[in-house]
Amino acid sequence: MRVALFVPCYVDQINPQVGVSVVRVLRRLGVEVIYPEGQTCCGQPAFNSGFFDEARAVGRRFLDVFEGERSDYIVCPSGSCTTMVSHYYPFIFGDLPVERERSEVLAERVREFSDFVVNVMGVKDLGVRREGKAVFHCGCHQRRELGVLEEPRGLLSNVGGLDLLDWENEELCCGFGGTFAVKMPDVSTAMADEKIKALDKSGADTLISGDSSCLMHLEGRLRRTGHNTRVLHLAQVLDAEDGKAG
Amino acid sequence: MPGRAEFLQSIRHRTQAGRYKPTNAPDVAWTKKEEPGDDRPIEDPPARFIEELEALGGHGERVESLDEAREYVLELARERKAKLLLRWDVDELDALAVDAPLREAGVEVAVWWDLADFREIAGRADIGLSTAAWAIAETGTLVLEGGSGKGRTVTLLPPTYVAVVPVDRILLTVPEAIEKYAGGEAGVLPANVCFHTGPSRSGDIEMSLFVGMHGPGDVHVVLVG
Amino acid sequence: MPKTERPGENVETGKPARKRETEDHRPEGLRSRVEGFNDRARKAVADEQLHDSIELFTHKSVAGRNAVLNALPEAPELRERAYRIKQETMANLDRYLEQMADAIEARGGNVFFAGDGEDVVSYIGDLAQRKGAKVITKSKSMATEEIELNRRLEEDYAGLEIVETDLGEWIAQLAGDTPSHIVGPILHMNRRRITEVLSRTAGEGLPPDVEALGSFARRRLREKFLTADIGITGANFGVAETGTVVTVTNEGNARLVTSVPPVHVVVMGIEKLVPRFTDLSVFVRLLARSGTGQKLTVYTNFITGPRAAGELDGAEELHLILMDNGRSKLLGTEFEEALYCIRCGACLNVCPVYRQTGGHAYGSTYSGPIGAVITPLLKGHEEAKDLPHASSLCGACWEACPVGIPLHDLLLKLRNQQVEEGLAGKAQEIAFKGFESTMKRPALYNISSRAGRLAQKPLLRDDSVRPLPGPLSAWTDSRDLPPLAEKPFRELWKEGI
Repeated sequence: MRVALFVPCYVDQINPQVGVSVVRVLRRLGVEVIYPEGQTCCGQPAFNSGFFDEARAVGRRFLDVFEGERSDYIVCPSGSCTTMVSHYYPFIFGDLPVERERSEVLAERVREFSDFVVNVMGVKDLGVRREGKAVFHCGCHQRRELGVLEEPRGLLSNVGGLDLLDWENEELCCGFGGTFAVKMPDVSTAMADEKIKALDKSGADTLISGDSSCLMHLEGRLRRTGHNTRVLHLAQVLDAEDGKAG
Repeated sequence: MPGRAEFLQSIRHRTQAGRYKPTNAPDVAWTKKEEPGDDRPIEDPPARFIEELEALGGHGERVESLDEAREYVLELARERKAKLLLRWDVDELDALAVDAPLREAGVEVAVWWDLADFREIAGRADIGLSTAAWAIAETGTLVLEGGSGKGRTVTLLPPTYVAVVPVDRILLTVPEAIEKYAGGEAGVLPANVCFHTGPSRSGDIEMSLFVGMHGPGDVHVVLVG
Repeated sequence: MPKTERPGENVETGKPARKRETEDHRPEGLRSRVEGFNDRARKAVADEQLHDSIELFTHKSVAGRNAVLNALPEAPELRERAYRIKQETMANLDRYLEQMADAIEARGGNVFFAGDGEDVVSYIGDLAQRKGAKVITKSKSMATEEIELNRRLEEDYAGLEIVETDLGEWIAQLAGDTPSHIVGPILHMNRRRITEVLSRTAGEGLPPDVEALGSFARRRLREKFLTADIGITGANFGVAETGTVVTVTNEGNARLVTSVPPVHVVVMGIEKLVPRFTDLSVFVRLLARSGTGQKLTVYTNFITGPRAAGELDGAEELHLILMDNGRSKLLGTEFEEALYCIRCGACLNVCPVYRQTGGHAYGSTYSGPIGAVITPLLKGHEEAKDLPHASSLCGACWEACPVGIPLHDLLLKLRNQQVEEGLAGKAQEIAFKGFESTMKRPALYNISSRAGRLAQKPLLRDDSVRPLPGPLSAWTDSRDLPPLAEKPFRELWKEGI
């Protein structure tokens, strides 16, 4: 099993540890991991702001880079970036039959990280331990476009010592929404506060998600409001070596 | 101000010239699966009708004969200290023969026939009495048809409303009731059909329930048979 | 409320002066304006009481909706059918409109095709004058809100009193306010304010309890119901096959508005049509379940023409106004699905943005996700430039929509349309052109990445970017911003993991 790693640009630049954990987890499962070094970004920021031409240009590059490498799957530790490629590339290339076909073909191989571990590798228990009381935040694209909600929850419920709690309003968006976070900052922050209220109420000391963008936004607000909550990406929780450091 | 032909032509032009034909149909599951829903099959339609009606704050009763139905109406008038009852002018209510006993009990009875000013009498009535074309078990709904002798405001203006309905008029579901009128010929359809489900209500004030907003808050259905 | 200034002709663009803006009784800031959303939203999120009201309403609505839809095993199938029926309707809208008009006329009703709000106002005003009408009772209709029917009728036709009869709409009318939610129009008003408004109308202090307030409303509105010369309703649905107009309420006001006055006027958006009476079995169920969490509302009323021979109540004259007001522009376009909306309000209830800001922040008749979509479509982008951006694109609206309208995708398309029309602003255009260049060339990306690390050094404090004025402040004002990592992933990979 050979997998090409698709690392979101903000993971690359801000949270590279997440990428490192993904590599380690995949290797533990016996997967050969390659990293196409020509990759940059999936283009979602331009797309979300309505700049479809620019998104198409970046998308074309993405297709070139990932088609160029032989791999069984392309794995990405982000629900929203995975959705951009698997759902929205065909959307923006709708009127361009050649690119649309290329993106539809590629889309079949692109999988979000937990989806890959559970549904492709068939693994639900990675045999790791981490103490804590945690809540899981499922990114909106991952929940609604990819339909991958039970997979990460299942993986987390098998982590020894981790108490996975329910929390109110769990389906509510965290408020990041890409450029929304800076275009409508008051509402975005209020939405984060709503999630943090629920987190406080649940008694959790750890926040986990499969989307670093959501985590960056929520952690930013948690710190500003004086919370000591541990904030981790799903891959880090499942990474035995990271677990020792955490 | 466009004329009819012009208006329709501009629409025809757009639907024919339009490039984009939506082809998406919803494909994502919706609503939480964990929350319990009540989709029991309906085994006893009259019982289910009454259950649904009462869950909404209405009063339902099943009786065996018209005599018992008459008793119910008389008792209701007594309890509500009614001075005026207004009823539909239909054969089934003639057969109910409730006019005379009511009058004996000091309740004025008005029949929906050739009224000089329906507003005055319907606005003054304490109780409205009607039958129903159909009833829907799934929801506790009465299907009321308008027509000669079947005043709409009889079921709407008085604060108390009672319907006497033969039990064989009960349909199981809302689609069944709609099918009764989906004959395809507009001539078959009465000028007014109303699906009336329980007491009138409003939640506009801080979501607190207020019963009897504009229609009757005190709703009774007597199923006969 | 002060009269707004009448702007002169814009010499730069040569556009004519805006139509006379007359006395506007709505609270300040409610008229839709470019860039207004953020300001209104800021005020709204700071309002704790508003937040509690919205929370209560939306939470209850969503719970009710989920329960009642779970109880309907065929709900997913109904949703698919609803989409297909609406798709079929729009593809043949001219034919169905004609069929509906013929059917109503065959039953003795009148039909009028209105291009826009002006047409509707004139038709009704002239009708009222011909009838010597003084009092008009009205049931809740978003279409009439959209064209500001009440205000324009009262201004242009002296001596007309228009009375809203839905409790919430009436209270809003008395308060000089506007609805903030399709189903619960005054969810933003608390009991104290409502008591104030109703007491003023009553001419005496009313106790602040629901029984007293509701009873007063019932008594006072009863007077209007019984003396009205004309009744105006909207239409939740119109059936082409039979000419039937359907109204759906819990209060019974629509039924009273259509049973008592001798004249009944229906103002119906052309998109409210369904082809056959049997189609109602899909829509009536979806509207109640999705909109109010009920299997059926208390009154689902089907009106087919004026009263029949032998009837003593019911309207003697029926006037159906089929209104376009910008809807037909969407037919056959990538935005056509916005016309499939049945105005149930479910998207508002699940929208995380709406839940923080409430309806008035949108500055438009229609709020929430559907409002963010159709306001720019019906009124043009200039009137509502920020609405397509008032969303984090979470997709909850699409998930909740009983017809399956992909509202979140339509918002994206609207954003794209703004860019295509040059409305995105130079700064963004430059930024995203730069984004494109950088992301297409790894060499450039790497240079930017190294430059970023150098640039951020003076901005860092305690492992986070310091709150500073400037472009990042929108983030750093309220949230900590993590710095760029010492080494990006691609470097770590090169070094070996």
